Amino acid sequence: MSITIALVGNPNSGKTTLFNALTGSNQHVGNWPGVTVERKEGQVRHGNTVCRVVDLPGAYSLGAFSEDEMVAREFILTGNPDVVINVIDATNVERNLYLTTQLLEMGAKVVIALNMVDEAKEREISIDEKALARRLGVPVIPTVASRRNGLEQLMNAALAVASAPRNGHVRLSYGESIDDKLAKLTNLLKAGRWDYPSGWLALKVMEGDEYVRKIVADEQSMQRSKEFLRLWDEIAANEDYYQLEIVDSRYRFVGEVTQDAVRRPAVAVETATDKLDRILTHKYWGIPIFAAIMFVVFQLTFAIGQDFLGEWMASAVEYIGEFLESLLLTVNAPQWLVDFTGNGIIAGVGAVVEFVPLIVILYLLMGLLEDSGYMARAAYVMDNTMRAVGLQGKTFISMIVGFGCNVPGVMATRTLESKKDRMIAILINPFMSCGAKIPIYLVFIAAFFPAYGGAALFAMYALGIIVAFIMGKIFSKTLFKGEVSHFIMELPPYRMPTLGTVLRSMWDNVSGFLTRAGTTIFAVVSLLWVLAVLPGGVEPYGPESILGQIGLAIAPIFKPAGFGTWQASVGLFSGIAAKEAVVATLGMVYAGVEEGMELVMSIREVFTPLTAVSFMVMTLLYTPCAATLGTIRKETGSGKWALFSALYSFGVAWALAVVVFQVGSLLGFA
Amino acid sequence: MLKQLLAAINDAGYVSKPALAAELGRPLVLVEEGFAALVRMGYLAEDAGAGCVDLPCGKCPYASMCQKEPVQMWKITDKGRDLLANMQRAG
Repeated sequence: MSITIALVGNPNSGKTTLFNALTGSNQHVGNWPGVTVERKEGQVRHGNTVCRVVDLPGAYSLGAFSEDEMVAREFILTGNPDVVINVIDATNVERNLYLTTQLLEMGAKVVIALNMVDEAKEREISIDEKALARRLGVPVIPTVASRRNGLEQLMNAALAVASAPRNGHVRLSYGESIDDKLAKLTNLLKAGRWDYPSGWLALKVMEGDEYVRKIVADEQSMQRSKEFLRLWDEIAANEDYYQLEIVDSRYRFVGEVTQDAVRRPAVAVETATDKLDRILTHKYWGIPIFAAIMFVVFQLTFAIGQDFLGEWMASAVEYIGEFLESLLLTVNAPQWLVDFTGNGIIAGVGAVVEFVPLIVILYLLMGLLEDSGYMARAAYVMDNTMRAVGLQGKTFISMIVGFGCNVPGVMATRTLESKKDRMIAILINPFMSCGAKIPIYLVFIAAFFPAYGGAALFAMYALGIIVAFIMGKIFSKTLFKGEVSHFIMELPPYRMPTLGTVLRSMWDNVSGFLTRAGTTIFAVVSLLWVLAVLPGGVEPYGPESILGQIGLAIAPIFKPAGFGTWQASVGLFSGIAAKEAVVATLGMVYAGVEEGMELVMSIREVFTPLTAVSFMVMTLLYTPCAATLGTIRKETGSGKWALFSALYSFGVAWALAVVVFQVGSLLGFA
Repeated sequence: MLKQLLAAINDAGYVSKPALAAELGRPLVLVEEGFAALVRMGYLAEDAGAGCVDLPCGKCPYASMCQKEPVQMWKITDKGRDLLANMQRAG
């Protein structure tokens, strides 16, 4: 005696392991006719019976969504298997049973191999196989295919089912109205000549299966039946409703079958994540809480980074500068090299590097927030505000990335599907306070607002976000009109941040900062130093130098903003190469003005608190750095948008800096 | 379950699958399946993004500076919104 057994199951249910365990080396591989799906067959002798085992492609359902699904259902319906072994992953019973319900709908003779029961046990999932078998009306045999456990019982059950007339399995109900229509349609379809059971055809027609609908529509005998045509039109008119009800009924059935029969480890009805989210994502309190968290982050950054570590780093830079200078003097190095090293590199690059401790602390704290899962909540609480100003909630994710560096921030806008949303997100991203802008704020905060460091830094970040929102609103009403895409954010569960991940995240940002200091900033400082000491015969770092002349030419532009000095102007000009270069340039030009004087002290003499704020606003918002402009050109596919970004952001920054200075002067802050 | 799931997603304003499972009294795996079914039938759509799909994060030169926890976004499609409106009409 010989029979055919079909193996069917979800991908990763252990179906192929079971196939190999059953057939051993006695198998061969080919292709299913007309498709590129692999066909595996093997043989196994069980008692006196020779079993031909066909391993069907893994599938989550038996619809017409993929070749794998089509091949599997076609073989079950027309390949005349004597029995179908449905392999179910015991760790994921609920998901796997969806396919089982479709096998039952087909009227197949089914035996369930409840596979990987050992893994389910390890995960404390308890399954009552008898209850499952009773509710499904088919045998359920626990197996561990990888250890060949339960195979004997499985084959016994398969042979018993194959020789029995039919399973006594339960029938699904899809609701009274659908059941009635299904019965009528099944009756009408019996008049046709099909390779498939008419009940299954009727179900698939109602479910909107295009493949089956075509077969039925092409059958001549059906076209002559007025009753059929009337029913056909009625079904077509409510296709979506029937499809949803049928699929929903299957899930309801799975829920009923597994209720009490599958028990998972107790999970609190309300998880810690839910409790936290109720507070942190609150409709009204969400944004104030986010603002408060960020405020604490900036306060801690100053308290730890400046008070504990800042002095140490400044002393280290000073010590390295003195050491290099004495070393160069000892080896009788030319004066220009001593000057380049002391007043150029150490004053310039050193001025940037001095702020590394604050950068370290800031990104460490930001890494903690991100790794805990809070940043996704931050994006969510901003969602309503974003939508109100015509931006998509997900834009805030790219803005958060922009806090690190605007280049990946602009690239992160790729996750926005709509071109309109993406263009706006690209154009507003440079308003975010990237890591390179932080040293600029820190120099001016140290000079004028040391007691309010955290608050001042917080204000700069907040201003960047507010300006981004305003510009986003303007763009969505002018250049990029259209509806806001309505997306719903999925919030991952909170988790305890891991030290390794947080440190790695911090290092990624800090190393990028240090790399730029050692490459771009070094190159910019070297170039500016040459411009600051040429032409020969003029006072180095003076207004007659090439650098001074460039500064003097630009300076009138910034006079209405209160900082129309040539030093401040060249600082801003160099910042277009890289934002850190603003501090590096100021460090160099002011070190040259008054030998040995610290940058902060020099700034305190040249700026006032009001012009300091005006200058900080300018550096926050003005023309993005060259790398960001290059990325904007690449991501928008147009140099025009990069130019637009450079010009409009300069205009916005200048206008706001002027407003700050002029209004401040009127109020008596000058 | 699917209609209730869609309505719950719409009401919550954000997606937390464990919270939805608790609200609907279903195992989490079944809720995840529900999402897949709603996507398959066109009631819900995943935000595929514009270009990151073709560029695995590991190969992106800026991956280390990007968002470490990618945020999954969902969209209730027009078909889904019609269904919700019908459900509301039907009470």
